[in-house]
Amino acid sequence: MRINSKFNFVWNGFKISKPQMRARHIKMAKAVSISCALLFSQFTYAQLNIFTCEPEYAALAKELAPQAKIYSATTALQDPHLVQARPSLIAKMRRADLVICAGADLEVGWLPMLQMKSANAKVRSTDKGLFFATEHIDTLDKLTQVDRSMGDVHGLGNPHLHFDPQRLLTVAQALTVKLTNIDDDNASEYRQALKSFQQRWQTSIGHWQLLTEKLDGKKVIAYHSSFRYLFNWLGIEQIADLEPKPGLPPTSRHLAKLLKRATQGDIGAIIVASYQDERGANWLSERANLPVLVLPMSVGGNEKSTDLFELYYSVIDLLNSSLANSPLLDQSQQVGAK
Amino acid sequence: MKELNTHCYSLFLATSLLAPTALAQDSSLSNPSISAVLDGYYQNTDRPLAERQAGFGLGETELALSANIDELFFGKLTTVIESHDGESEFTLEEAFIQTTAMPAGFGIRAGRFLSDVGYLNNQHLHTDAFTARPAVYRAFLGGHYFDDGIRLNYLAPTDLYWSMGFEAFKGESMKAVDEHNERDFENTGVYTLHTKVGGDIGISSSWQLGLNYLRNENGRLSPFEEDEEEHDADAHQTHDEHAHSASYTGENTYGIDFVFKWAPKGNYKYNHLAISGEFFKVTDFAPEHGPEEDLDDDHDEDHQHDNLATDEKDYHQGWYLSSVYQFSPNWSAGLRFGKIDTQSLHDEHFESQQLEETELSIAWHSSHFSTVRLQYTHQSTNNFDDNDAASFDSNVVTLQYVMSLGAHNAHQF
Repeated sequence: MRINSKFNFVWNGFKISKPQMRARHIKMAKAVSISCALLFSQFTYAQLNIFTCEPEYAALAKELAPQAKIYSATTALQDPHLVQARPSLIAKMRRADLVICAGADLEVGWLPMLQMKSANAKVRSTDKGLFFATEHIDTLDKLTQVDRSMGDVHGLGNPHLHFDPQRLLTVAQALTVKLTNIDDDNASEYRQALKSFQQRWQTSIGHWQLLTEKLDGKKVIAYHSSFRYLFNWLGIEQIADLEPKPGLPPTSRHLAKLLKRATQGDIGAIIVASYQDERGANWLSERANLPVLVLPMSVGGNEKSTDLFELYYSVIDLLNSSLANSPLLDQSQQVGAK
Repeated sequence: MKELNTHCYSLFLATSLLAPTALAQDSSLSNPSISAVLDGYYQNTDRPLAERQAGFGLGETELALSANIDELFFGKLTTVIESHDGESEFTLEEAFIQTTAMPAGFGIRAGRFLSDVGYLNNQHLHTDAFTARPAVYRAFLGGHYFDDGIRLNYLAPTDLYWSMGFEAFKGESMKAVDEHNERDFENTGVYTLHTKVGGDIGISSSWQLGLNYLRNENGRLSPFEEDEEEHDADAHQTHDEHAHSASYTGENTYGIDFVFKWAPKGNYKYNHLAISGEFFKVTDFAPEHGPEEDLDDDHDEDHQHDNLATDEKDYHQGWYLSSVYQFSPNWSAGLRFGKIDTQSLHDEHFESQQLEETELSIAWHSSHFSTVRLQYTHQSTNNFDDNDAASFDSNVVTLQYVMSLGAHNAHQF
C-alpha cells in the first residue's frame, strides 16, 4: 500500500475568494500607516514565489507550500554542478520570495552569479529568503583538508542529501520554519502541511524499510557520490566510483581497474544517475556481466518519479529488480546485519 | 497593488537596513573568495592589435579577491600582471563595489569595472574559447573595456529576462590619439546604454540578445596640425599606452550582440554548443576642421564628413561569429570568423584597412579548472602593415594554457 493521500484537497478549502482578496487589499492599505513589518508580510501573501536549485526541493516545497508558485532551476536530467547562470534563471530569481538550494557548494558555480545578477535583496541571505538544506543537517563526508588534486571536492560534505529520508524530514521541518518566517500570515497552514507530510513520510519510511531489507550489505559500483545518502540509508556499499576523481569523467585506464575489481564476483550492479553519461557504465557492464541501473537522481528523473514518495518507490523498485538477488560475498554478513 | 509594491520595496529596504544579516555567500569574513588565473603561451608570430607577442610569453595573470563587504555592498578587486617587452606590468582591472540590497531590481556598481556593453566584454579573458579577443574588440574596445566610473542597472520583473543599464566612465583608454598632449579632453568621456533580453527555448536551448550604444566625447580625432597624424595599430603599439587603449575611436558606437547555447536536455556536463556573434559600428571619428565647424558641430553631421573623399567610408565597423562545441568534459573545439573594416588617417585623408581572421581552436580540459589550447589563426590584412612594421604572417599558431586556482569560477552565460 502506498501512502499518497490527495493532499491538494486540504488546500482547496483554503483558497480565498475575490471579495476576500479585496478586503485584504483594504486591510493592506491601512497597514501602510500602521506597521512596516506587518505590511510586508501581508504583501508576500498573495502567492509565494519559490525558486529551487534542484527538483527535489521543488517537490518538497510543493508538499509544504502547495499554493506557492514553484520553479526549479534544474531538472533531474541536468547535472546541478554545471549549470549556466542563464537569462531565464536570472529573471526567475528576480521575482522569487524564497530560494531553496542544497548548498554545501553544490551550486557554487552559478548561484552566486544568479544572486548578483538578479538584484533581489530578498533572497541573498539565509536570514531572509535563502534556504540551504545542508545547513540544517549533518552532511556525510565532510573534509577538513580540501585540495583540487583530489578532484572537484567540497569541504562542506556531500550535498545530495535528499535520498536520506530522515535528513530530508529534518530539512522539511527547517523549511517550514523558514516559510512561516517569511509568510507569517499562513504560518498555521504551513505547519499543518508539515504535519501531514511528516505523517505520510514516516509511514512511508516504515514501508520502504520493509521493501529494502534484502538490499542491506549489497555492493555496487556507482558514478560519483550522487547516491551516498541512499546507500548509507539502505546499507549498500559503494565499492568503487566510475569517476577516477570527483568531477572527472571515467577514463579507460580507470575502467580497466574497475573491471579487475568487478571480476571478484561480489558486486551486484553498476549504478548511474539520470543525468550521468552511461557509456563508461555500459563498457564495464558488458565485460563484467553486471547490470546497469539508471536511477532517477530526483523527481522527474524517470516517468514514475512524479513526487518525492514516488521517487523513493521508483528507486527502490529498480534496486530490488536487479540487486536484491545478487550474490553476497560473505553470506554471514547478511545474517548479522539488521 | 502596484503602488503597494513600490511601498513594500522601499519599506523592505528600510527594514533591511535595520536588521543585521549573516550573508550566505560562499565567501565569508575569514574566507573571502580568492582566485588566481595562470595563462602562458607560445605564439609563432605577431597579430595586429593583439596583446600576445611572438614567442613565449605570459597572458593575463590574474589575482582576484571578492567578498560581501556588509549587508548592502559586495566588493571585488582584480589585479592583472602582464608582461610586455620583458617588463612586468601591474594593472588594476577591477576594483569596484556593487550594491546588493537595492529595491525593485536596481543595482549600482562603482569604481573600476568591466563595461556591460557587448556580449564578451563583461567576461574575463580566461573564460574565452580563443586565445585572443576578436579583432573587433581589440580595435574598438582595447581587447576588453574596463574603466573608472559608475553603472546603474535595472532588471525588469518579467518572465523574459530584460536588463537595462547606463554607465558613465572616465574614458581614459578610449581617448582619440593625442600626439602632442595638447588636447583638452572631457573628464567624463564615455557613456554607455545597453539592454539585454533573453530566455529559454524548451529545455535544451537558451538565448540572449543585446543592444548597445557607446558615446565617446573624446572619440573624435584631433584636428590636423602638421603632417604627423599617423593613427593606426603600429603607431599605437609603439606608444607607452599600449594594448588596453582602443585603437579606433569615434564619438558614437553602436553594437548588437547575440548568444545561443544548447545542451542535450539542458545538461551542460558532457556536451554543449555555444554560438555567439557581435557587430559594432563606430562613427563620427573624422577630425573637425576650422573654427566655423566647431561652432555648429554635433548638430550637423554632413559638415563633418565634407573632408572625406567620396570613396572613403565614414565609419569603422567589425563583427565576428563564433561557435564552440564541447565534445566531452575533456575536449572542446571552436571556430570563429571575424572581420574589421577601419579607416586610418594618413596626412589629410583616410585610408581603408581590413583585417580578417579565421580561427580554429582545440582545447583539452584536464578538469573543470584547467585548459590547454591549440589555436590556428589565418589572418589576412590589408593596409595594416603599411607603416614601418614588417608585414604580418597570415598563419598564426598559438599554444596556450589557462588554469585557475582558488575560488570556483562562475558559469557565466
